Amino acid sequence: MGLAQNVVFGLVTGSYIAIAAIGFTLIYGIVNMINFAYGEFITIGAFVGILASGTLSLPLPIAALVAMVGGGLVSLVLARGFFTPINHTGPVPLLLTSIGLGLALRNAVRLVAGRGARYFDTSATTYRFEGLPDLPVGSVDLLGNLFVTSLQLVVVGSAVAVFLLLYTLLTRTDVGIAMRALADDEDLARVRGIDTQRVRDSVWMLAGVLAGLAGVLIGIQTNVSAGIGFSFVLQILAAAILGGAGSPYGAIAGSYVIGLVLALSTAFLPSGMTGISSAIAFLVLVIVLLVKPSGIAGREVREA
Amino acid sequence: MSLLAVEDLTKEFGGLRALDGLSVSVDRGDLVGVMGPNGAGKTTLFNCVSGIVRPDGGAVTFDGTDVTGNSPEALARAGMIRTFQLTRELRTMTVRDNVRLAATDQPGERTLPALLRTDAMESREREVDERADELIEAFELAHLADEYSANLSGGQRKLLELARALMLDPELLLLDEPFAGVNPTLTRDIADRIRELNSEGMTVVVIEHELETLTDLVDRLVVLQQGQLLVDGSPETVLDDERVVEAYLGG
Amino acid sequence: MSVVDRLPGGEGERAALIGGACVLMAALFALTPLVVALPSALYVFFEVAILYAVYGLLVLGLNLQYGHTGLINFGHVVFFAAGGYTVAMLSAQNPFAGIGLGYPWVAALVAGVLVAALLGALVGATSLRLRDDFLAIATLATAEIFHTLFVNFRGIFGGNVGLSGIPQPIAALATDGDTTLLATLLFFGGCVAFTFAAVRRLTDAPYGRVLRAVRADELVARSLGKSAFSYKMQAFVYGAALAGLGGGLFALYSGAVAPGFFTLQVTVTVWIGMLLGGAGSHRGVLAGLAIIMGLRLLSRFALDVTPVSASAFASIRLIVIGMILVAIVRYRPAGIWGNAEELGVDS
Repeated sequence: MGLAQNVVFGLVTGSYIAIAAIGFTLIYGIVNMINFAYGEFITIGAFVGILASGTLSLPLPIAALVAMVGGGLVSLVLARGFFTPINHTGPVPLLLTSIGLGLALRNAVRLVAGRGARYFDTSATTYRFEGLPDLPVGSVDLLGNLFVTSLQLVVVGSAVAVFLLLYTLLTRTDVGIAMRALADDEDLARVRGIDTQRVRDSVWMLAGVLAGLAGVLIGIQTNVSAGIGFSFVLQILAAAILGGAGSPYGAIAGSYVIGLVLALSTAFLPSGMTGISSAIAFLVLVIVLLVKPSGIAGREVREA
Repeated sequence: MSLLAVEDLTKEFGGLRALDGLSVSVDRGDLVGVMGPNGAGKTTLFNCVSGIVRPDGGAVTFDGTDVTGNSPEALARAGMIRTFQLTRELRTMTVRDNVRLAATDQPGERTLPALLRTDAMESREREVDERADELIEAFELAHLADEYSANLSGGQRKLLELARALMLDPELLLLDEPFAGVNPTLTRDIADRIRELNSEGMTVVVIEHELETLTDLVDRLVVLQQGQLLVDGSPETVLDDERVVEAYLGG
Repeated sequence: MSVVDRLPGGEGERAALIGGACVLMAALFALTPLVVALPSALYVFFEVAILYAVYGLLVLGLNLQYGHTGLINFGHVVFFAAGGYTVAMLSAQNPFAGIGLGYPWVAALVAGVLVAALLGALVGATSLRLRDDFLAIATLATAEIFHTLFVNFRGIFGGNVGLSGIPQPIAALATDGDTTLLATLLFFGGCVAFTFAAVRRLTDAPYGRVLRAVRADELVARSLGKSAFSYKMQAFVYGAALAGLGGGLFALYSGAVAPGFFTLQVTVTVWIGMLLGGAGSHRGVLAGLAIIMGLRLLSRFALDVTPVSASAFASIRLIVIGMILVAIVRYRPAGIWGNAEELGVDS
């Protein structure tokens, strides 16, 4: 397989991680918490999508919309029930609560849905780029037999659409501008008369919508099981911190870095070692924390 | 002989010059007041001197040694102790433990003596307890000794911080607004104690922007403006200085 | 209270006495022909109790780190694993896969503790300056990295199967299986009691006062001449070393190590035990851990009488544990036996 093919895989992985990482980092920036239950938000979104497309036989785009709405509602309800009441206690109790909630949700899903994996009923068209010349550099072939599937295009296209909508939301709408103000300086935002709780609710909702979409896209690319979101949460976290925790644009950049690191390390590691590609992603995270803890675009997380 | 000397000290925060080539020195046994409007660089001066922030340029000399950029713990051990503008009592510790903590040369602060509970640790701890109780008594906190310091009033916290600082027997005591938020009676009380410490030989530098309290207290006033030295002299000369009048009253 | 106030006959001294008695009894059962016969219904109790003792070492170390010094270590399992794998690789004879050097187990155990401490020093040196929630992430990621390495480097760590053929000294000394179980429990219990005595002495001494000052306000501690970073490092390394001891003892008891023994779940269990009991209180955290592990024991018995499948039951147990964590943080942030004022939380 050529290098270009792995870049394609990396871009696809980076795309769904980016959609999730935006939601994750918005919660971090505005609610000021690391939400470990975010993986379960993704799982729940994916299952809502499976139900909508499988049981209700809705077409996939509609099922994805249902998953997004479902994800948004679940996120808001969980936040109202578990996080908002202890908002004032600081980042550590919030982090601990999210770990407990995540554990409970993951096992609740497992209890209801069982341990098996489910699949979206999709059909994909594969576009092959035949006749590309081999471009070997040492033992690595740069081009090779490149192919792209329609599903991969859907994932990347959804991500680009999300980025554009996010930009519009954050720069053109009142609620988006309020979100940015709150992330910058909470006291100042309050003085300016921003209803901070309403903004937080919108962020939870938005993060849930993004988790729902990410869940469906991950489900399309792989499968859906009770542990699916949890298996991505550390990568999402790595992407968000790499991009500078709290910065949505940074999170997008961080996600593609993580996606490419995952795909390329899989390609270049000797077979039998490919399992450590996730370790490499975490290694990137640890190195970022140690070398430039503020990330690509972010703020200081080291003590004075 | 100067105990503390600051030369050409510079510190920038995000393009803003908090300290701009400030030079000032404090002699052993002095009681010096530092004043200036908000943003003049008073607290930044303390932070640079006490090692909490590293100055961008210039030098700090303490007792003849260059201590620029030394850590707060090293400076504290060398005999320079500071208090904070917003009191930083250890809220989750009792008044007694706040004061005892500050004790120096306690071998029981190292793992092995603590595990073995050595005689050296215990005899030192008896001295520490005694001295801490003396200070708590002297600062009229005895009835609160076993109270968690989170439960203290603002004035009591100021007293506690002072008592804690004295536990170290500092050569140089840097007090950042010891009278802020304190009622008039307590202000007089704290001022008396500072004067007493000074007359016993301790060198004290006090930041304050309440003009009257300070001019009554100190022998010498240093006025800062925009990170630079505006005037340095006896309270009378400083108060008569046109630039000070302008900075304080004219603005 | 200070050291002088609580000198005579303290809790720590009692614990040391109990520890001594336990170890003596363990020796009695292991070294003499004396045998015991345990009712088979109690096997599961002994198994869980032995694991409890091992986790007890972990929770005491974690409490030194978090309860006293305020360090959030979400990668505690990695130090547990470091101890376990070091002992396994140094002492195993003919492991199924991976490295087994066949050195004496005593040397391996000492090395296990040292390797865990060294790893703690390494992680500490790089991560302890991070803000507390990011320290949590850095330690968690470290643990995940090592977990992946254990699984994937089959030639070194034995992959998913792990390493077997580790000597089991107590089993080798004792006459039969029942006696081994009892002697193991007594010996491990003794180790926990000694550890309790040690951490209790440490935290009662002026040493503990400095740790708590660092937790309360690092800058104040430094301004009073205490090297906060050095104390954070020490607490972190001691906690790591205790976890390494736990891992080493565990390997020498089970005779095998595998990645499945060293998952994130271990960290979560120990953390919830600590928070439930009350961080800061050594007795509290052991009791809290006992409640959480008691739940595991209870669920083993309950499984027999409930109509649900084993996997459904496991899910229910984890849901309960997750909700316990949520409930403690919200309704009793100081835990059952913790001191709310000392921890600085509203209760």
